[in-house]
Amino acid sequence: MIEALFESFQLFSGHALTWVFFSYECDQSSLAQILVLASKMQGTKVVDESHDQDTTDLRKCVAYVRDLAPNLDKSNLCILVAGALGGRFDHEAGNINVLYRFSTIRIILLSDDCLIYLLPRTHHHEIHIQSSVEGPHCGLIPIGMTSVSTTTTGLQWDLTNTEMRFGDLVSTSNLVQGEKITVQSSSDLLWTISIKKT
Amino acid sequence: MDVMIHSSTFLLPGNDHSSSVTYALVVLNQRLPRFTPILWNHAQVRVCADGGANRLFDEMPLLFPRDDAIDVRHRYKPDIIKGDMDSIRTEVLDFYTNLGTKVVDESHDQDTTDLRKCVAYVRDLAPNLDKSNLCILVAGALGGRFDHEAGNINVLYRFSTIRIILLSDDCLIYLLPRTHHHEIHIQSSVEGPHCGLIPIGMTSVSTTTTGLQWDLTNTEMRFGDLVSTSNLVQGEKITVQSSSDLLWTISIKKT
Repeated sequence: MIEALFESFQLFSGHALTWVFFSYECDQSSLAQILVLASKMQGTKVVDESHDQDTTDLRKCVAYVRDLAPNLDKSNLCILVAGALGGRFDHEAGNINVLYRFSTIRIILLSDDCLIYLLPRTHHHEIHIQSSVEGPHCGLIPIGMTSVSTTTTGLQWDLTNTEMRFGDLVSTSNLVQGEKITVQSSSDLLWTISIKKT
Repeated sequence: MDVMIHSSTFLLPGNDHSSSVTYALVVLNQRLPRFTPILWNHAQVRVCADGGANRLFDEMPLLFPRDDAIDVRHRYKPDIIKGDMDSIRTEVLDFYTNLGTKVVDESHDQDTTDLRKCVAYVRDLAPNLDKSNLCILVAGALGGRFDHEAGNINVLYRFSTIRIILLSDDCLIYLLPRTHHHEIHIQSSVEGPHCGLIPIGMTSVSTTTTGLQWDLTNTEMRFGDLVSTSNLVQGEKITVQSSSDLLWTISIKKT
């Protein structure tokens, strides 16, 4: 699987990428395989962080991209995370927590079915819907704390100074109407939208 | 404070209805976990939430590849199919209706999720069920669309006085209400060692645990800071007490 990923990224980008591997939960035979492949790819750098057991793999990767990745214009950085959802729920929660820990960096968690990103309370948000690839199913999720007041436009079930919290109202199975959603909330929210199958 | 005891005996083969726990099974519209037949055997009532009936129809025979598909579908017939009926296929609906499955069409009610409708049904209406020690098992509750998953997790918080277990092939989740000390008895043949404690709805000012690789001692947990993930169970019993409701999650073994 790793080999196919390597090949498809090389084809797509046309130039050597920097890959960073963290062998936190990597068994030895997989690690050996990865190292052999990495050594064949021009310009690939391997960084072994297996000594650091205190932070998750995603957190290490995000910190790397933010702090160390050379030749990267970070003034408008967006980190895409593939395979971030599904599987073990504690992993998924840990990945979501990375969004909250790095709330000033755009980080998008992606799976086959949907994407998630943080809408920080510090901003009004405009979400431009790419309707050929995403929607219509969506939601606004107040993870981590009650959201005392949220106001939206462009959803089937818009919110107007509405409180949201686990145990009561959480906006799920909502639908986008049209091309632009606006959201403003008193708390950080997770935005999620389905990704189309075709 | 009372102790609440948890044990994943529903993952063990065998159908001892002599157990004091009354299990109900709700099947949602995600790929059936491979251990669904084990859950089925423990349950005294089996409910499909709308498209969950498609999953049962299509995927239960795949778990018994040497058996005739129709036989399997007859053996694993739900008691009731409930929901807004926008996902269930007509052929599936007809098949189970002809076998005597009750169908409750709730398409008029767009305000509540299918899972919420099914939990309310089990709690309020399911006949002949001893509900004094009820536990609702939900298959196919995780993965897929994240808003569905969040909605399913919200059902745990809305119905915090009912034991509800969300299950997927990879893990299970349930609520540990702040009102109780919790003892979690680990069934190590089927679950673990990976686990976590997740303060989904609000900051947890203080949590104390025993039995984990990285135990907490009056530790604060919140999104944006510490959340206990990629933890490991040590031994057979975990204890948890927290100032807030927490989600407990543990991995399910593959064999």
